[in-house]
Amino acid sequence: MRDLLNEIWNSVRNNKLRTALTGFAVSWGIFLLICLLGAGNGIINAFQGSSDRFVTNSMDIMGGLTSLPANGYKEGRRIVLNKGDIDIIEGKEFEDRIDKVAPVTSEISDKMALGIKTLSTSMRSVTPQYLEIEKIQMDKGRFINPLDIEQRRKVVVLSTKHARELDRDLVGKWVSMQGISFRVIGIYHSDESDWRTSAYIPYSTMKGIFKPGEEIDDIYITFGGVSNLEENLELEGTISSRLKAHHEAHPDDPNAIWIWNRYTQNSEISTGQKLISIGMWILGILTLISGIVGVSNIMLISVKERTHEFGIRKAIGAKPGRILSLIIAESVSITAFFGYVGMGLGMLVCEIMDKTLGSRSMNLGFDTIKMMDNPTVGLDVAMEATLLLIVAGTLAGLIPAWKAAKVKPIEALRAE
Amino acid sequence: MALIELRDINKTYDNGQPLHILGILDNYDTGTYHLAGKLIKDLSENQAAEYRNRMIGFIFQSFNLIGFKTAVENVELPLFYQGVPRRKRHELAMEYLEKLGLTQWATHFPNEMSGGQRQRVAIARALITKPEIILADEPTGALDSKTSVEVMQLLKQLNKEEGITIIVVTHESGVANETNKIIHIKDGIIGQIEENTSHSAWDGTMMK
Repeated sequence: MRDLLNEIWNSVRNNKLRTALTGFAVSWGIFLLICLLGAGNGIINAFQGSSDRFVTNSMDIMGGLTSLPANGYKEGRRIVLNKGDIDIIEGKEFEDRIDKVAPVTSEISDKMALGIKTLSTSMRSVTPQYLEIEKIQMDKGRFINPLDIEQRRKVVVLSTKHARELDRDLVGKWVSMQGISFRVIGIYHSDESDWRTSAYIPYSTMKGIFKPGEEIDDIYITFGGVSNLEENLELEGTISSRLKAHHEAHPDDPNAIWIWNRYTQNSEISTGQKLISIGMWILGILTLISGIVGVSNIMLISVKERTHEFGIRKAIGAKPGRILSLIIAESVSITAFFGYVGMGLGMLVCEIMDKTLGSRSMNLGFDTIKMMDNPTVGLDVAMEATLLLIVAGTLAGLIPAWKAAKVKPIEALRAE
Repeated sequence: MALIELRDINKTYDNGQPLHILGILDNYDTGTYHLAGKLIKDLSENQAAEYRNRMIGFIFQSFNLIGFKTAVENVELPLFYQGVPRRKRHELAMEYLEKLGLTQWATHFPNEMSGGQRQRVAIARALITKPEIILADEPTGALDSKTSVEVMQLLKQLNKEEGITIIVVTHESGVANETNKIIHIKDGIIGQIEENTSHSAWDGTMMK
């Protein structure tokens, strides 16, 4: 074993350029592969993260502007959702399909003050169901409960971001908004990329103080008993047409009622994720192939270059197997060493991407998502890729090695 | 068909068709021959390697040392292929280098040595397996006349003291004159065979 290592070390030391070139081809291949897969994973994770933030079997229903005249009304009429819509959705027709209904009323943008500190925020009034529909994580305290609704309490749930800017220990303190004091009952989790940094107050409190009247800005619903895309689309269509009828809009008007269906959006996202993943692997495999070609090319040259040396070895009694195993051992150790170097560098770059791009967000208009979330490759995948390159490199080196081992010493010695 | 008994023969060869003496195990064209009592015919690669390793020592015109190995590593190499343990073969290699007066050159690389020194390393490498026969292909071809004489003296001494058969291929009459038997080969055909125990063959008439 030590002799073999010695032989390898000797030949590496005496063929620095060749070793460096082989090493570069291998390292570069693995490095690119790891970076590529890391970036791909980052993008996929970011998509995943954005769809994890809400329950996928939910819809957000909003009123729009009519685009077709109907029932004597001109087009361009604003549709405002109201209690009647809630009644329809909670009614008999949808009873077995819809689980939770949460009306949300408007946002008022204003300053929020605690002592002498102020910051701009928006207010959203919600019901307790909103917590589950929007998958809100509470860091401290509690969310709005039915008693808050019933008694129209002046309480508010703030985000981590608010807490960071106002006071770390915010729960129990009083903040003022629109000149009215609200007691902070809880802090919900938000991160940099989160577009939801509203202050949540009870639905009934908002109605009572700021926005009397019937109007509702959004209705959030979750549905069970819908098992596939067709049923989901049918539910969406039915709700839409019932609400259009309620508001006397044209049944075919595409703009009167807006429904943001997270279920269909999510299935689009997962298709997208799959495509990205497949694309990344195809690119990755092509990169690997170029690495393999590089390795075998250099093996070919190396064997050619060393024909004379192999001739000497054979003349003094080396069996073909010994020559073969020498070449293979050399190729494997060079590929393995540089493969792992490339792998290490690739993973380092993934970490750097994680630290830089990972914290940056991208505004998609309706949503803000991270550009990349955890853009790293599992050690197992990295190892497998490196092993694959080593095996392939060895196989590629096998043919010239076999030829070299077979050549007759007299012919090998003539080669200069 | 020619049966050549390879026992105590020295050969000389004129500038004619090359005799593939190095291809003795795998590249001869016709006929059969015995080496140390073994019929050499249709050897497998591994058998041929074994015979090369244990029965034949090669000395080449261009030394054919491995450039990135030191003198002692070059001498060790045949034993490495015999599977002799490292320590043992190192000792043996040092022993042979000492015999050839190269002890202080043991850790030098071939390109740090003179031609004569390199050829002596090559001779040590040929000797280390205690072969039956040494085939020397123009052993002095790349050496100056003084070193040539030294190398020939060495080969003669080995022949006398160790009793190893040495076949020298050469076209230098001076070298041929040092041998005990001269076989003239022209165009691949054996011509005159001279007994030369008195080493007086070179009297000028031999030169053409």
